[in-house]
Amino acid sequence: MKRYFKIYWTCMRSAFLAAIAYRMDFIVSSIITLVGNVLFPLVTLLIYRSGASFPGWTLYEVLLIQSVFTMSGGLANLIFGGVLWTTMSHIREGSFEVILLKPLNPLFFIVATTFSPDSIGVLVGGIALFLFSVAHVDAIPLLSWLPFAALFAAGTAVMAGITLMMAAMSFKWVGNSRISELADSVLHFGKYPLPIFPKSIQAVMTLVIPVGMVGFLPASALLGRVEATDFAAVLPCFLFMAAGAWIYRHMIRLYEGVGG
Amino acid sequence: MRPVIDVQHLTKTYRTYKRGAGMGQTIRSFFRREEVIVHAVKDISFAIGQGEICGVLGPNGAGKSTTIKMLCGALYPTSGDIQVLGFSPSRDRKRYVSRIGAVFGQKSQLIWDIPPIDSFHMNKAIYGISDADFKSRLEELAELLDIAHVMEKPTRVLSLGERMKCEFVMAMLHRPDVLFLDEPTIGLDVVAKVKIREFVREMNRKQRMTCILTTHDLEDVEELAQRVIVINHGEKVFDDSLQRLQLFLGDKKLVRFTFTDSTRGAHFENAYTRVIERPSDLQITLEVDTSLISISEFIESIARKHHFSDIAVKELPIQQVVMKLYEGEQSPPDMQSTPEVSLSR
Repeated sequence: MKRYFKIYWTCMRSAFLAAIAYRMDFIVSSIITLVGNVLFPLVTLLIYRSGASFPGWTLYEVLLIQSVFTMSGGLANLIFGGVLWTTMSHIREGSFEVILLKPLNPLFFIVATTFSPDSIGVLVGGIALFLFSVAHVDAIPLLSWLPFAALFAAGTAVMAGITLMMAAMSFKWVGNSRISELADSVLHFGKYPLPIFPKSIQAVMTLVIPVGMVGFLPASALLGRVEATDFAAVLPCFLFMAAGAWIYRHMIRLYEGVGG
Repeated sequence: MRPVIDVQHLTKTYRTYKRGAGMGQTIRSFFRREEVIVHAVKDISFAIGQGEICGVLGPNGAGKSTTIKMLCGALYPTSGDIQVLGFSPSRDRKRYVSRIGAVFGQKSQLIWDIPPIDSFHMNKAIYGISDADFKSRLEELAELLDIAHVMEKPTRVLSLGERMKCEFVMAMLHRPDVLFLDEPTIGLDVVAKVKIREFVREMNRKQRMTCILTTHDLEDVEELAQRVIVINHGEKVFDDSLQRLQLFLGDKKLVRFTFTDSTRGAHFENAYTRVIERPSDLQITLEVDTSLISISEFIESIARKHHFSDIAVKELPIQQVVMKLYEGEQSPPDMQSTPEVSLSR
């Protein structure tokens, strides 16, 4: 385990050095990622300013869901964000054997070397929005932070699972650069209070592709709106991530390289 | 003695789809794809002993790189068995790859935007090399390859030769027992090629490192390999020493004459002589089959008819030998009867 920590640290350091090698590119891409992810709550603000609302949810409660979603996305992108594009590019160029030459789990090596520091902006932006929302909702009991942490970790596992599954698909579906749009469209459901959707969608979003766990349930824990049964969705989240990792490793067997 | 690399009946088959060319075929294939089975490697067997350098030759698409990738554990064979250092590369990949190194001429292990030294540190952590070993090993490799002055420059600003030398450091830091080289000198200038060949020779001598080298540069093979395997259309068509490869077409030599008088109208072709090049009436290069006529008799026969001021006798270039193999020319009977040599078309 100690060896793996050391490898992760060294690879992460290299990824960080590579990311900041081009200063302007790093700054501009950090800002674009931050703006793209942090400004979407503006839509919520506009909805509430125009007098409409999500029934049963105040503006700051919805913002809290969206800030948790942003933090979770930022954290997952920081750690897993580069896996999709790196896998896709290695497969298209037939250079995945460079990964397989390392005496490591290939998924671990890709995760370690594709640490994406430009996602720090999203995480920090999410934290800022989170603190702002927390300050405007009712007082949060100290005990609510524990279930929040568990559900937040589960939500981040869902984000990671989605990334791994998309990356795994690129072994078979070579060169599909729009694959991430598919995931984005599913993830949109996680940005809003789950009860506003029909029951069938709620079930899918909790148990099949558990995107409801990303923002909604952790925020609900802070607001004291979760029930004991909601925690049943925690296990599927980690199973979802494990399934992503398993599918990825299975798909490596399909790798065939390109002509030499 | 048990060979370091033992390959038995190795086969790799791909399933792909025919896409066609032009608008009509492309649109047709969009709706109805025709499945194509590609036999990239067909029933190849060979064994390589410790400390041997073996060259693998073959035209583009012959199956060389696919074979190397399967030997590295990066591709799963469709059938057959591979044992390298007692490991099955695809089944014991993690433990196995810690004992091998690989340099791919067209695929980099270095991180493009940061200096090679940072990539070397990454490999140090991955292979669990101690600080003292890393320091001494890096100093040794940097001196042998003359790269001390470039290790701290970003990889992207290095020349191709400098980058390739750094790729060798990446592959050699953990002292592999077997080194796989896939076209390592592609695109390099003569100076860089010579340096890299010297390096491989030195590592092979000092560490008794076994090496498999695929290349299109026959000089690499002539300079490094004692043994040559030729692959064409996925099949092994030759497996023996370099000398035997040169003898493949029988005892043939090239003889170049520079005449003092014009030879216009003279005929040189006969049962044992073939004109290779005739740039002017005063110069000619002939291929002579020395199994039918001795070189001295041949020179005498020419001297009886023409006066010449210069003569050069050379072995048949290996390039020509390999081209004949690629084209599937039949082997002479004495080669077919040699059990060590496999010739199949």
